[in-house]
Amino acid sequence: MVMGFARAFGVMVYRQLKRFVKARGRLVMTLAQPIIWIVFFGVGMGSVFSFSNPVAESFIKQVFGGLDYMTYLTTGVVGMTVFLGSFISGITVLWDKQFGFLKETLVAPAPRSAIILGRSFGDTLVVLLQAAIIALVAKAVAPSINLAGLPAALAYGLILGMGLASAGIVISLRMTTPESFQVVMNFVMMPLMFLSGVFYPLDRLPLWAKAIATANPLTYAVDGVRYWLTGASAYGPLKDLVILSAISAVFIALSVWEFRRATLD
Amino acid sequence: MSDIVVVEGLMKRYGDVEAVRGISFRIRKGEVFGLLGPNGAGKTTTIHVIATLLRPTAGRVAVAGHDVAREAAEVRKRIGIVFQDPSLDTALTAYENMYIHGLLYGLGGEELKKRIRELLEFVELREHANRLVRNFSGGMRRRLEVARALLHRPELLILDEPTIGLDPHTRARIWDYIREVQRAEGMTILLTTHYMDEAEELCDRIAIMDRGRIMAEGTAEELKSLIGSDVIIARFDRPACFRDPPIKECRELPDGRVEMVVENAAKALPQLFDAARASGLRIVEVSYRRPTLNEVFLHLTGRELRDSPSSTTRPPAFMARRR
Repeated sequence: MVMGFARAFGVMVYRQLKRFVKARGRLVMTLAQPIIWIVFFGVGMGSVFSFSNPVAESFIKQVFGGLDYMTYLTTGVVGMTVFLGSFISGITVLWDKQFGFLKETLVAPAPRSAIILGRSFGDTLVVLLQAAIIALVAKAVAPSINLAGLPAALAYGLILGMGLASAGIVISLRMTTPESFQVVMNFVMMPLMFLSGVFYPLDRLPLWAKAIATANPLTYAVDGVRYWLTGASAYGPLKDLVILSAISAVFIALSVWEFRRATLD
Repeated sequence: MSDIVVVEGLMKRYGDVEAVRGISFRIRKGEVFGLLGPNGAGKTTTIHVIATLLRPTAGRVAVAGHDVAREAAEVRKRIGIVFQDPSLDTALTAYENMYIHGLLYGLGGEELKKRIRELLEFVELREHANRLVRNFSGGMRRRLEVARALLHRPELLILDEPTIGLDPHTRARIWDYIREVQRAEGMTILLTTHYMDEAEELCDRIAIMDRGRIMAEGTAEELKSLIGSDVIIARFDRPACFRDPPIKECRELPDGRVEMVVENAAKALPQLFDAARASGLRIVEVSYRRPTLNEVFLHLTGRELRDSPSSTTRPPAFMARRR
């Protein structure tokens, strides 16, 4: 049973990585969005928040947890890359559903839990590679970033990625049309992306927005990543780790539960 | 144990729709068993239950002694299935599809690689092994699916409409593979089809299915003998039926024609003409045939089945034939 689990898990990791290697064009696509945020949003906002007056300068740094805006933003974008990338990878179960490969995995004698966890893990590895590339881009525009903290930062990314890939899987197993994907993207993922501390600190937000941010796994992933890359943190890396892990565990458990009972009904 | 599949009182309901309404049959080890019926008869639902992909609403289904609902993992190990719709990973190559399948079924190492080569050879895809499935034609994909389903040497091979949508040439190839697998490996095969020539050509035993029920079951010969020897189908200018000898049985079909079962149509036809004239009836059309599965289906359900498209082995249905 343990052997069967490890094996099926490994096969699915292998499949997801193979698919990624076959579709290298996708790497460019998925990297494009975070890089566009860094370049076009970061450069613009960075210039707004940079002053020659040292008093104004230190005030701004105080707002952004002691960081200049470019450093603040780019470390957030590393977390955002994982958030969006892994969610979209989970959603591709919908494509497997449409093109039939899902049936192939449903009739396989391997443990269903291993199949779905292997799939999420394989996709998350790909997303972490993208996040690492974004971190290097970030270092180029924000030299104060400490890349020695990158492995620890990616560990937070791994937990977030497994959670979001699982959330994508749960949604796509329940979703009947690809159109609902757009709805989820626009009305759930986009607001969560903004209410997470990627672009601005959360402490001065109105209460309702703070409430959403508090339940948002990206909030803790971004804070954790930022801590390991810069030393700045709003909640502390341990609290980030605990809450992020708890939220991800719920999504992971849901995806296993959903997939184990999946039939063609 | 000689029955590899046992289906007892199987019922499957989707909401208010009863797709399968209490069917029972058994498949013997080593035979080719066919579920023959039109689209919507419940064939695919039945095999999805056997393949553990749907839970039965009522009834019991066992494969090699294992209950499909309670021991799904044991059943899954023992079956290979080719779905009606493709289930390949089109972003990967033919070889990678085979390889991943093999790993999922617990195979590995040199043995797996050798088996993949043999099977790709068998379905004549060896030289396409490293091409992406996305670029494969429909026929190539079906052949690859057959090879993939055979990879783990299943005890039961399930084929859902194996030749639907294929050109006659590819269809003949698939038929050859099925015969070859059955002959060489003695594998039990369950297939569904709505082509009666396919059922007759490949199956040792056939269950005729319609609207969620099994109407009859047996070898093609046994099914045909349900009718008798010959069938005359006629249309008169007004409803009428003849039951005097040599006509053994007569009934009106829903489309207004009349079906008459006789021992020998060549001799009975002149007598029918005389009888019609004597009753003042005009014969609008008449034809006769040796019974095929189509006549059996028509006899059982009042509707017609059809042959494979562009099949050249048989004249089209409802064309009178001489002996």
